[in-house]
Amino acid sequence: MNMEKYYGKFGGQYVSESLMNTLDELTKAFEEAINDKAFMDEYRYYLKQYVGRETPLYLAKNLSNKYGAKIYLKREDLNHTGAHKINNVIGQILLAKRMGKTKVIAETGAGQHGVATATGAALFGMECTVYMGEEDIKRQALNVFRMKLLGAKVEAVKTGSKTLKDATNEAIRTWAKRAEDTFYIIGSAVGPYPYPRMVKEFQKVISIEAKRQILEQEHALPDAVVACVGGGSNSIGMFADFIDEKNVKLIGVEAAGLGIETGKHASAMSEGKMGVLHGMRTYLLQDDDGNIKLAHSISAGLDYPGVGPEHAYLRDTKRVEYVSIRDDECMNALMELNKLEGILPAIESAHALAHTLKIAQNEMKGKTIIVCLSGRGDKDIDTISKYFNGEETNK
Amino acid sequence: MLVNRIEEKIDKLKREGKKAFITYMTAGLPDYNTTKNIIRTSMEAGLDCMEIGIPFSDPVADGNVIQDASFRAINNGATLEKTFVMMKEIRDEAIELPIVFMMYYNQIYNYGIEKFVKRCIECGVDGLIIPDLPFEEQDELRTELNGHEGAPILIQLVSPVSKSRIEKIVKDARGFIYAVSQMGVTGNENSFHNEIKNYLCEVKEKTDIPVMLGFGIGSAKDVEFIKSQIDGAIVGSHFIRLMEDSNFDMNICANYIKEFKNEL
Repeated sequence: MNMEKYYGKFGGQYVSESLMNTLDELTKAFEEAINDKAFMDEYRYYLKQYVGRETPLYLAKNLSNKYGAKIYLKREDLNHTGAHKINNVIGQILLAKRMGKTKVIAETGAGQHGVATATGAALFGMECTVYMGEEDIKRQALNVFRMKLLGAKVEAVKTGSKTLKDATNEAIRTWAKRAEDTFYIIGSAVGPYPYPRMVKEFQKVISIEAKRQILEQEHALPDAVVACVGGGSNSIGMFADFIDEKNVKLIGVEAAGLGIETGKHASAMSEGKMGVLHGMRTYLLQDDDGNIKLAHSISAGLDYPGVGPEHAYLRDTKRVEYVSIRDDECMNALMELNKLEGILPAIESAHALAHTLKIAQNEMKGKTIIVCLSGRGDKDIDTISKYFNGEETNK
Repeated sequence: MLVNRIEEKIDKLKREGKKAFITYMTAGLPDYNTTKNIIRTSMEAGLDCMEIGIPFSDPVADGNVIQDASFRAINNGATLEKTFVMMKEIRDEAIELPIVFMMYYNQIYNYGIEKFVKRCIECGVDGLIIPDLPFEEQDELRTELNGHEGAPILIQLVSPVSKSRIEKIVKDARGFIYAVSQMGVTGNENSFHNEIKNYLCEVKEKTDIPVMLGFGIGSAKDVEFIKSQIDGAIVGSHFIRLMEDSNFDMNICANYIKEFKNEL
């Protein structure tokens, strides 16, 4: 066991022998790149001029007045393509280019990471294939169309549960076959090392900006920072620069779906069962036979049976508190933000918001809280309309 | 020390100057009685070793055929524990065919590593192939295997892109080396890596134990051109398809094995 590749007992490189040299090359190339000023300057250039960073840290006054804490929103929803996913895609695709790869592949659930990857591929002239479960393709027709418009090939995955987990399996299989010319862009803080570290590196801009912005506006650090957790990319980026600030409470919010007790949820932490999937050792939803269970959430972006290994570590070391929010709670929070502030958040981000509204009225009354608004809700219009019309939602 | 069935078989093949033929079958496809029949028939037909695939929900190292087979076996109720029970029954019938479990690490981890190793010993499992447990991640399992007499052999895999890794992987390997014929997943026929000959020579140079070639093999003819570089061949997806297409006809199973063995 090579401890550099681990976060405590989580992480590692559980991949086939065919990929071990690929991961070594990737680790070396990544370390070199982030220590190369020219590379990081190019990354920052695209974040500023193309993605539109920095994103605002907005004090949601109406929400704050109603709920009793000072609630700041880190507006990742204002990024190009509508979510934080693009930060990481720009970083990884520049790395792919630097490594001489001509093709990129990605997995996607709701399609946000797929759209971001297809966007980056269009920008940098790369051939792009996105793996997406057949079930998700049906549910996210708009994003599928967008990816195709951008010139990406969308490969329907028809195996297993035909959702994100299976799309990830298929992307790993393709990568094992074609690693010589193909770069796998993982969208979440998951996968074999160095992926969790890379995703954190390219998402930590969120917390670096937020820390500077809160110091400008409040002249103090926040009391709490809240972000939603599926695999954990926006949250690891939102926590990164606050982890060493011991007085800042960090809270990760998983999806409780219909309720943890119903078994229909996406909270990998709640069952506390460790396992190995998608190249990493982490907390996983699994049955007694060691098969991976299906996650359930109204939000396709949180609908993943595992969680990034660094989150698993942050939970065990108690640096971050992980909680969960049900479908109904998150949809109420979504409407609150929409009506009080005129901002329609992604259903994923509404989970973080829902928990924030809870603590604002209780232990965090009068305190300052930053919530990561990881994406905008436009992609969710269909689900939102069905939900409030009492129809069965996609998930 | 107890003699391992794989090592015993390999010694015998070496003395006779013969090559090994190994097949793969998903456990519980379509049910455990069929799996047992295949084991009995294969042994009588002269098979040297059999891989039993423990169906897993997320078989990332497998191509379509084994993925489908796993999915259906799980739906039919196949589990690791039931496969152990089947193994015990097979051994109680005095069937001494060397058997290797092909499975994913989560299944072992979930079962409990120590409990798993003990159960393998009880039920006569001779080897383990774990495609998502590369050399660097094997310490935890290896410690447990080394701590129990009669524990199965952890079969080491090498790939055409292993290059400088080959040496450390094969150094303490036992049983045989599983040489993967191509990058990617199981079941991709007619697509051996273009450097296959050099690669196999390199592996052979670095180890004294037999080297078995697997992935994408259907008949003995497929490996004819590299026969002198290998000590045996492994057939998985093709064998599963053959069995499914014939509705698990045991004559076809026996004939296929005899023919392959003869031509090898």
